[in-house]
Amino acid sequence: MQKNRELIKIFHGPQHPGITGNMSIELDLLGETIKGAKTHVGYLHRGFEKLVERRTIIQAFTIVCRICVPEPDPNEENFARAIENLAGIEISEKAKYIRTMVLEMARLSSLMLWMGGQSGSIGLGTIGQWSIYDRDLILDLFEELTGGRVYHMYIYPGGVRRELPDGFLGRLSQLLDHLEKRLPLYDNVFFENSTFKKRAIGVGVVNRDEALRNGYVGQVLRGCGIKRDVRRDNPYLVYEKLDFEIPTFDGCDVYARAMVRRQEIRESIKILRQVIEQMPTEGAIMQKIPKHRKFKIPKDDTFVAVESARGEYGFYMAGDGTEQIRRMQVKGPSLIHGFTLLENLLVDEELSNVALIMNSLGICPPEIER
Amino acid sequence: MIKILKKHYEIEEKGERLFKIYIKKEDLLKTIDFISLSSNFMTLSQISCADWIEDEIFTLNYILTTEKRDKNLMVETNIPRIESKLPTLLNIFPQAEVMERDLHEMYGIDFIGNHTLYDFALEDWKEIPPLRREFDTLKYVNEQFDFRAGREDNKDVKAEIKRRRAEAKRLKNAKK
Amino acid sequence: MQEGFIDYQKVLENEEHAIKSTQSVIQKAVDWFRSKSMFVLAYGTGCGAIEMPPTFTSRYDIERIGVVGVATPRQADILIVSGYCSYKTLKRVIRSYEQMSEPKYVIALGSCTINGGMYWDSYNTIKRLEDYIPVDMFVNGCMPRPEALIEGFVKLQANIKDAKREAGYIRYREDNKFYKNNQRKIFGENIEPSYEANFAGMNQ
Repeated sequence: MQKNRELIKIFHGPQHPGITGNMSIELDLLGETIKGAKTHVGYLHRGFEKLVERRTIIQAFTIVCRICVPEPDPNEENFARAIENLAGIEISEKAKYIRTMVLEMARLSSLMLWMGGQSGSIGLGTIGQWSIYDRDLILDLFEELTGGRVYHMYIYPGGVRRELPDGFLGRLSQLLDHLEKRLPLYDNVFFENSTFKKRAIGVGVVNRDEALRNGYVGQVLRGCGIKRDVRRDNPYLVYEKLDFEIPTFDGCDVYARAMVRRQEIRESIKILRQVIEQMPTEGAIMQKIPKHRKFKIPKDDTFVAVESARGEYGFYMAGDGTEQIRRMQVKGPSLIHGFTLLENLLVDEELSNVALIMNSLGICPPEIER
Repeated sequence: MIKILKKHYEIEEKGERLFKIYIKKEDLLKTIDFISLSSNFMTLSQISCADWIEDEIFTLNYILTTEKRDKNLMVETNIPRIESKLPTLLNIFPQAEVMERDLHEMYGIDFIGNHTLYDFALEDWKEIPPLRREFDTLKYVNEQFDFRAGREDNKDVKAEIKRRRAEAKRLKNAKK
Repeated sequence: MQEGFIDYQKVLENEEHAIKSTQSVIQKAVDWFRSKSMFVLAYGTGCGAIEMPPTFTSRYDIERIGVVGVATPRQADILIVSGYCSYKTLKRVIRSYEQMSEPKYVIALGSCTINGGMYWDSYNTIKRLEDYIPVDMFVNGCMPRPEALIEGFVKLQANIKDAKREAGYIRYREDNKFYKNNQRKIFGENIEPSYEANFAGMNQ
């Protein structure tokens, strides 16, 4: 007897425990296999680019860090560096080292949050409890340095806003020792778990030949064996003086991207140890710039980029000679991954793999729609 | 690779790894096709748009990067603000589809050949495209939404500080 | 009312929060059960959702109070609106709230629900959440710390056991026209279906 099967449309929607953030995917299902997918964003749209046009730079810098919620520091660094490029300001060595330290700590905390999300999507609940505890210890250090756990507002055009507290570098060293002792535990329970390997190998395979041309960035490229990283190719701050490697893995699937991130945690710890050793003890943390109501931004435009935990994060900024910014456009790594890549990857996959693939690509909705 | 481009276009250098060329809007498709095939700048990274209302133009910047991702090239064109139309780059770069949809919703630019220009981030929007300079957000917010009562006696911060300092000075002089 | 961080033991011993003796025994027991098992809907609507994983996991463990996360609105008692609401999100929040079964409570997290926060001049966010759905507890801050969220839950428990306080869901049922008029002002005619016809025959 032939069964008449037709396509059913469901919303893998905004209220769902299996999505990373507040977005929805419209799926066409045939049984349990997906035949078509369409992404919907816009649930978090606040109109940042219009808000910034009405504000001077010190008013804009307080809201710029809220564009990307899990990792706010690349936004502040991009904003500060774009204004320094336009106005021709040079910052001191000590400020560069402090900014590098803050960016690497933010990358570590974002990778810990990823581990909790990726393991939760398969059903391994223990790792979420451990990794979010370890991330909280990093947030305690942030609170001591900048005053806030999640949103720091610390990096300003011209340098950073406050000095390092006494004994801060010693406490950071102790925290890195603690994290290094915990890493074999995560290996045992998560990365070498046969359940995870059976779920992850062969799922979400990216086409390697189109990857460079289509504009994919971050771990999607490094999981295909292509070694690209903004810190190595287009260096900024003090990354030319530091010694670190770019991990790659062949395989193009969810397992390869997880292995790349596992190695990046170790590389971040290595970079932080070098920064602690090489931190200069004297130097001004902030250059002298005019007051914000008299600081005229020249009529010019520029493009800056940093490497966040998910890929290349870029800002385009244009000034017009007054104290307000004419245009600031944000381009996060999830814009291309969330639309061009995700809608093609999900075809012919099972419904239960949607959360796994979304976590593996690292899709963060606030940076898609600002 | 820069030498190939220098023969055909005038390149402005904005820093160590950032270059810029200016072209007319009719040559757009031809130029980008030529650059992406003959030189190393093979990926489209971003399409950004700025609104210069005093000159009545939109300035579009197509930002391309190399295969090794170490240099960026900005290709700039100007289009008029009323009835802005441009050909689409969908056939050369598939990621241009989403970026053009975003610009269409925010500025009202029409990309000829792109059939997916529906809503990106807004729903049931009936006013003019919001990122144009003539759209006044403060007026729109005051008409649509109500704020909570309690800030009616809001004072200007600078005037208040001046008044308090003058008051303290006067008291100090009176004590002497 | 006490200000500051209230210790859980002090809440039990304080006479103001003690269960009133004029209630019937069954009503007292039911309120006690309701306040000890609160199921939270898994919906991260905004920025504030980044401080919810630390609260629900091992460091600031909120499960010792009886709070657990669930997946669907039919199983949930509490809706946490964590941060600002844009136009699109507000439609889905109202739909989720109306699908939850009574008794249900709403906690509004963050300063953006009180008066718009730092997006006060944005064209896409709403400024006062309590015009559209009834709110039982506001927790302010940007972001509120996990300890502040726990204090909000403890105060909500005391409010549930308090017989004199009218909960939000009763206001939504009886005063439905007020909320629907406000929603109609923003959404036009695309609002959720009206439940006035169903409520007309219910005994109060």
